[in-house]
Amino acid sequence: MSIKLQNVNFIYGQGTGKEKQALKNINIEINDGEFLGLAGHTGSGKSTLVQLLNGLERATSGEIFYNGQNIYDKSYNMRKLRSKTGLVFQYPEHQLFETTVINDVQFGPKNLGLPQLEVELRSFNALKMAGIDDSLLDVSPFALSGGQKRRVAIAGVLAMQPEVLVLDEPAAGLDPAGRDEILGLLKKLHKESNTTIILVSHSMEDLAGYVDRMLVMNKGEIVLDGKPGQVFQFEKELEKIGLGVPQPAKVIHQLKEAGADIKGEPVTAEESIEAIYKWLSKEAL
Amino acid sequence: MIRDITIGQYYASDSVIHKLDPRVKVVCTFAYIISLFCFNQLSGYIIAAVFFWCIIKLSKVPFKFVIRGIKPILFMLVFTAMLNLFWTSGGNVLVKFGIITITEEGIERTVFMALRLVFLIIGSSIMTLATTPNQLTDAIEKLLKPLNRVKVPVHEVAMMMSIALRFIPILVEETDKIMKAQLARGADFESGNIFRRIKSMAPIIIPLFVSAARRASDLALAMDARCYNGGSGRTKMKPLEYKGRDIAAYLVMAGYIAVIIIAGKYLPF
Repeated sequence: MSIKLQNVNFIYGQGTGKEKQALKNINIEINDGEFLGLAGHTGSGKSTLVQLLNGLERATSGEIFYNGQNIYDKSYNMRKLRSKTGLVFQYPEHQLFETTVINDVQFGPKNLGLPQLEVELRSFNALKMAGIDDSLLDVSPFALSGGQKRRVAIAGVLAMQPEVLVLDEPAAGLDPAGRDEILGLLKKLHKESNTTIILVSHSMEDLAGYVDRMLVMNKGEIVLDGKPGQVFQFEKELEKIGLGVPQPAKVIHQLKEAGADIKGEPVTAEESIEAIYKWLSKEAL
Repeated sequence: MIRDITIGQYYASDSVIHKLDPRVKVVCTFAYIISLFCFNQLSGYIIAAVFFWCIIKLSKVPFKFVIRGIKPILFMLVFTAMLNLFWTSGGNVLVKFGIITITEEGIERTVFMALRLVFLIIGSSIMTLATTPNQLTDAIEKLLKPLNRVKVPVHEVAMMMSIALRFIPILVEETDKIMKAQLARGADFESGNIFRRIKSMAPIIIPLFVSAARRASDLALAMDARCYNGGSGRTKMKPLEYKGRDIAAYLVMAGYIAVIIIAGKYLPF
C-alpha cells in the first residue's frame, strides 16, 4: 500500500494566458505507515501537491498510483479515494457548519454511508483522540475556542478513519501549547493506528521532532528528500530557499564546524543536548 | 472550480477611452442613453450606430466582448419584440390570424424598439468594459456629492459599494476552499434531486456566511483602528481631475447630441 507519483506536472490557469506552473515533474513514493513531512516556502507548491493526492485537483500531466492503481483511470472511484485519504485543509475550523460538535464530526462518516451506530462510534472515538471533552459534544462548534475548533475539525476527518491522513499547516496560528497538542495528537495517532501521515508545514521546527522522512519543495520541485537529520545537513541550501534549519541543528552544525567531535545528526533540542553532553564529558576525560 | 467566475467585465487596455476620467464616461453614457430616445426615424439610428462604432474602435475592446453584454437580456429583448409585434394597432394590416394581427406599423416599431434596446445595452457595456468597478464608484461618489447637502450619505454609499466589489473575489476564493474541504469529507453536491442538492449546499453556505461576517467585523475593526469616521474632511490619494482629453470628450458628446437633435428635426426619414 503506497502512493506513487510519476512525472506529475500541474499548471494553474491553463488556457487563460496567465499560466503558472505549480508543480514540475514530481516523482515520489510514499510508503505505507510513513510519517512524512513536506516542507517548503509559501508558494512552493505544497498545498497543490496535497490536493492532487486525494483527487481534488487533477494533474496536468503525469500519473498517480494509489496502492498500485492509477487514480486517473476512468473506472477509478474518486469518491472512494477521498474517503481513504483524509485531507485536513489550512484553518480547518473554517469549515465547521453543524449545530453541535458531535453532528459536525459525524458529517464525514455519514457521507461514507456507514450505519448510524458505526458513525457514532467513530465520531466519539475521533473526538476522544483529539482530546475534546465529552461535555463539549452538544455545544455549538462556533462557541469553542480557536484551538478546540481546530481539534474538532481534525476529529471530523479522523472519524472517517482514512488510511492516509494529510494535514496542511495544522499548527498555523496556534500558540506553542496548542501546536504541541496538535502535533502530539498526530504522533500518538501514527503510533497507535499506523496511519500514513503527511504533515505539510513551512516550519522546520514543527517537522523536526515528529516526522521520519522529510521532503523539501522549492518552486514546484522536490529539492531534498531524506531523514530530518540528513536534510538539515544542507543548511546553506535550505536558507537560500527561505527555510533554514531549527536552532538546535544550527548550534550542532556550528560546534562541528569549530571542530567539536559530535556523533550523529541530532534534530530536536533534547537529542542535541544529549549529544553535546556526551561530547563534553568525553572532552573532560 | 468556481474560481473561474468573474464579476464585472472590465477589459484591460490602454486606449483613450480607458484613460478618460470615469466621470466623463458615466455622464456621457447617460447622455447617450437619453439621446436614444430623442429621435424616431432611421437616420437617428444610423447616426447613433456610427457614433458607438467609433467608440468601440477607440476603446480597443474586441467587438465579441461588447456583443456579449446582450446575452443576458436576450429573453427580455425577444419578449418585448413580440409584444410590440402583436399588440400594435393601426397602419396597414399585413397578417391577420385569429387574435394575432401584424401591421406594418407594428413591424416598424418592433425593429426600432429592439434596436434601441440593443444600442442601450451595448452603450452601457462599453462603459463597464472600459472602467474598473473602483473607478466607477469613485466617479459616482464625486458626481453625487451635491446630494450631501440634502443629507444623502454619498460617501458612505460609495464606500459600501467599493467594499462589496472588493469582497467578491475574496468570497469566491473562500467558497472554493470550503467546497474542497467538504468534498474531502465526502460531501456530494452533484447527485440527487433538486431538494437534496439544495440541502447539500448547507455545509458550504453556513461556513461562508460565518466567514463573511467574521471578515466584515475584522474590516470594521481595522477601519476603526485607523480612525475612519466617514467622508467629512477626507482627501483622496488619486483625486479625480479633468484633463484636456476629458473636456474634448465632453465636446464630442455635445456635438453628437446636437447632430442627433438636428437630424431629428430636419431630416425627412
